[in-house]
Amino acid sequence: MTTHHGDNAELSAESMNEYVSVRIGDQLFGAPVDAIREVFAPQSVTSVPLAPSEVAGLLNLRGRIVTAIDARRRLGLPPRDANDAGMALGVERGSEIFGLIVDSVGEVLRRPRAELEPVPAHVDPTWRSMVKGVHRLEKELLAVLDVSAVIGSAGAKAEAA
Amino acid sequence: MDDLISEFLTETGESLDVIDSELVRFENNPEDRAILDNIFRLLHTIKGTCGFLGLPRLEAVAHAGETLLGKFRDGELSVSPPMVTLVLQAIDQIKVVLESLENSGVEPAGDDAELIGRLEDAAMGRLPEQAAEEVQQEPENWDADLGRELRPGEVSLADLEAAFNSAAPEVDVPAVPTAEAAPAEAAPVEAAPVEHLGVGDFDPDLGRELRPGEVSAAELEAAFASAEPEVSVAPTAELISKDMSREEALQTAMAELKGSDEHVMGEGGVKVMATVRVGVDVLEALMTTVSELVLTRNQLMQTVRGLEDDDLKGPLQRLSAVTGELQDGVMKTRMQPIGDAWRKLPRIIRDVSTDLGKKIELVMDGNDTELDRQVLELIKDPLTHMVRNSADHGLEMPADRVKAGKSEKGTIKLSAYHEGGHIIIAISDDGMGLNTKRIGEKALEKGLTTHEELERMTDQQIHRFIFAPGFSTAEKVTNLSGRGVGMDVVRTNIEQIGGVIDVTSTAGKGSNFSIKIPLTLAIVSALIIGCDEQRFAIPQLAVRELVRVGAGSDHTVENLNGARVMRLRDRLMPLVDLHDVLGVGEAYNGASDETGFVVVLDAGGRNVGLVVDNVLDTEEIVVKPLSDSLRGVHAYSGATILGDGSVIMILDPNGLAGEIVTAMDDEATIDAGASKAAEMANTQRLLLVRAGGSEPKAVPLALVTRLEEFEPQAIESTNGRLVVQYRGRLMPIVPIGSEIRTVEGQRQPVLVFAENHTSIGLAVDEIVDVVEERVDLQMSSDKPGVIGSAIIKGKATDVVDIAWYLDQSRAGNIQRRSSNRRRRILLVDADAFARRMIAPLLAAAGYDVTPTGGMHEVHAIAEAGEKFDAMVGDPSALSRIRQEGLWPNLPTLAVTDWPEDTQAEGLTAVLPRSDRGALIAALDSVSQEEKVA
Repeated sequence: MTTHHGDNAELSAESMNEYVSVRIGDQLFGAPVDAIREVFAPQSVTSVPLAPSEVAGLLNLRGRIVTAIDARRRLGLPPRDANDAGMALGVERGSEIFGLIVDSVGEVLRRPRAELEPVPAHVDPTWRSMVKGVHRLEKELLAVLDVSAVIGSAGAKAEAA
Repeated sequence: MDDLISEFLTETGESLDVIDSELVRFENNPEDRAILDNIFRLLHTIKGTCGFLGLPRLEAVAHAGETLLGKFRDGELSVSPPMVTLVLQAIDQIKVVLESLENSGVEPAGDDAELIGRLEDAAMGRLPEQAAEEVQQEPENWDADLGRELRPGEVSLADLEAAFNSAAPEVDVPAVPTAEAAPAEAAPVEAAPVEHLGVGDFDPDLGRELRPGEVSAAELEAAFASAEPEVSVAPTAELISKDMSREEALQTAMAELKGSDEHVMGEGGVKVMATVRVGVDVLEALMTTVSELVLTRNQLMQTVRGLEDDDLKGPLQRLSAVTGELQDGVMKTRMQPIGDAWRKLPRIIRDVSTDLGKKIELVMDGNDTELDRQVLELIKDPLTHMVRNSADHGLEMPADRVKAGKSEKGTIKLSAYHEGGHIIIAISDDGMGLNTKRIGEKALEKGLTTHEELERMTDQQIHRFIFAPGFSTAEKVTNLSGRGVGMDVVRTNIEQIGGVIDVTSTAGKGSNFSIKIPLTLAIVSALIIGCDEQRFAIPQLAVRELVRVGAGSDHTVENLNGARVMRLRDRLMPLVDLHDVLGVGEAYNGASDETGFVVVLDAGGRNVGLVVDNVLDTEEIVVKPLSDSLRGVHAYSGATILGDGSVIMILDPNGLAGEIVTAMDDEATIDAGASKAAEMANTQRLLLVRAGGSEPKAVPLALVTRLEEFEPQAIESTNGRLVVQYRGRLMPIVPIGSEIRTVEGQRQPVLVFAENHTSIGLAVDEIVDVVEERVDLQMSSDKPGVIGSAIIKGKATDVVDIAWYLDQSRAGNIQRRSSNRRRRILLVDADAFARRMIAPLLAAAGYDVTPTGGMHEVHAIAEAGEKFDAMVGDPSALSRIRQEGLWPNLPTLAVTDWPEDTQAEGLTAVLPRSDRGALIAALDSVSQEEKVA
């Protein structure tokens, strides 16, 4: 239902994008808030031998089995320190839950939709396939993650294998 | 309206199934009014609903069927098989229409006039005066309103009529609920309000009372009982809307009344039980929640176990007990009686007996045995197929049965019962039993076995061939079975749900198929094993036994050319290390101080040992499916959450076996195109020799031309190669093993192989024995000069690859074949041993060999469009290829142990298997001819 006489705050909310800011490696990323089910600290991740490398393992999230996908692997970054479990973004896809493992999760950022800029053409194609656009923040760039692409091709890859 | 239609389709489908089986029952018990009433009521309801939904075509067919049934019911016609057939045809026609209604959402165009005509003829034509009378006798003012729609069956319910007549005036009274009430009732979505449950429950328009997926609501039953007196009026009024025609209103009302009538009496053929309808997804969600609750409970129990807090323990005990009950209760909602899967069978048997003129009695035992919905769905088709098979192939014609001293009527017996977490379903018949000879012949023809093997097999082993892919023994294709997809499909389906199938059969007495399947796929009993600090679950069903190896155990892991094996009751069992399969940690090295466990798995009918570090526990686990990302990994069938909350992977035995077989295949292909390891066995005469080590080696005697002994000094060295003067020529000598160890004064034994007028000698240390043994090449090898290993006289023995040595002896010689292209040979032989021997020999002679084990492989190669220069192999297989017209005009050279017994027709030549020289000469000459041509 659209509000025909919404106030200014609502209007501006519609023109704003909300992101959960996450850090993966040195880069700041933004995951659209509506794509994320929850944020949790991954505990006791069971590694799965023979699984595609980006699958960090399986974990138990309140009785449901979550497939953890390592964002660093997906983005082709070096692995995290072994002692650092990182944080996980819970993403629901169909009846399955995936946990996208990132280094750390920061605050929720709101950016005007109009300021989203396309990814520069010379950026690595792997990244371009998983980044929807870029916001210029004061100090650094916020790369907007296409969460379903980060999760998605993990599934596709496994099927092809 | 879409909801209405889909609801109608589900209900009607189920009603029709009931009608099918009830009709067959009725045919056998024409006196049983209760059955007839039930059928009549079901069909009537279908008709009524069709009218309501505006499905004239269905309505007309249902109506005509009902009319005929009405005649039975009134005793005007006696029940006869042709009559029942006719009604069944009407039911089938309704099914056809329903199906297309389901696909397209609208009733298909078409005309059932012919069928309706026959039904009407049957109802009236055969007993015209009675039927006419009946029309006249139709009482009171009914026909004024209903006209032809009114059939004797309806009329006979005089008592209900009176009841209805009193209710009918209310139809037009505004106080009656509006039109919306009718669809609301006809589309009983799960959550009907409680006060409507009574109505819904007794409303035949809503479907049969007992439904799959419905939850019995015993506590509501009491409430219904007290409400019952009102039922006959209240629901009727509610169902009848202003929009309905009077005719429909009448029908609905009557169906309604009859339905409630039925309930009050509780005498129907179907057990009446108070139920509510709940969506399957709701149950699934409930199941998931309960699983989580159980796991949480387990976690809690584990935490508290270490504490001494009695205040906590009491409530926790209760929580635990309640959780257990809840789990049981929820599990029950998933359970359905196996009778649901059997419901179609009486009809099928009836059709088979009519079509084939056999007399068959179907006995069903254990209908109430419950199993998981999901499993039930998956075994429905296999069961149907097997019962059909028994009726079609198993039972004899009545005359033959009498001749065999049996009763004319054959019996097929289905039974189901629980046994330790499994359900056992047996399908037995008292027919002629499996034809062992025919199955054996067919197995040979299909290349599944060899003569020698067959002779050694027990009848049961031979019978099991019927489960082999593409196997069907039917002499002719009937419209029932024998279409080539047979028991192998059944077996595959059953194995897919973790079940096993077996057969026993006695000639002349009958056959008995037994199926063992898990009760549920959701919860399985599993063995928890440890491997490299990680835990994995293996379904118990696949585990045959556990063997401890290493320190303090009788069993040891032995190495055979780097391949691991273990002796288990006089058989060599291939071992795979889970570390290797999963690529984690370090494999068990077999050192004496290290202990390990071997889990003997049943992987596709073979024993395979899985080496693991530790066996930890057995646990009931809830199987959770894997996400897409992991579904491609065949080693796992799912994941589960253990009591302590950790997630572990469930290993898939078949997937693991796949990995193992692939690994074996890889090794085998390196070995001059030899085929799959560890498959077929065969009796061979073998020469046991000792050479280059203390353990014996075996050489197939058929390949050896002669055994000779030479004085050590007769062996000369020229140009770094050893030769001996033999029959006026120089014969090269190659040692098996590293070198010739001549002992002064002892003659050197040499195996002589003749080929193309040249001879080659293999020097060995000692000739030990000649044995005739069943050679089961169990392990392939990538060590040069060794084809594989087998147990011979109780010892693991390497089988020598003669071809490799012949090549060695020829090293440095002029390349034998000058042709600029290696000629391609298709080798067809069901016998793995023969393939493995012949392939390298031909390869050594300069041919490019493609070995195949059976017709299916041949077909695959033919389809791939491969070209060959000649075919070599088993005469029957070659004849078969000839008949099928594959590769016409290709020279075919049959190789057999009995050349004189072999039909040479259509074959270029038939050669003795032992004469390798002759084979190569023949091949050379046919390729020569080809060149000339």
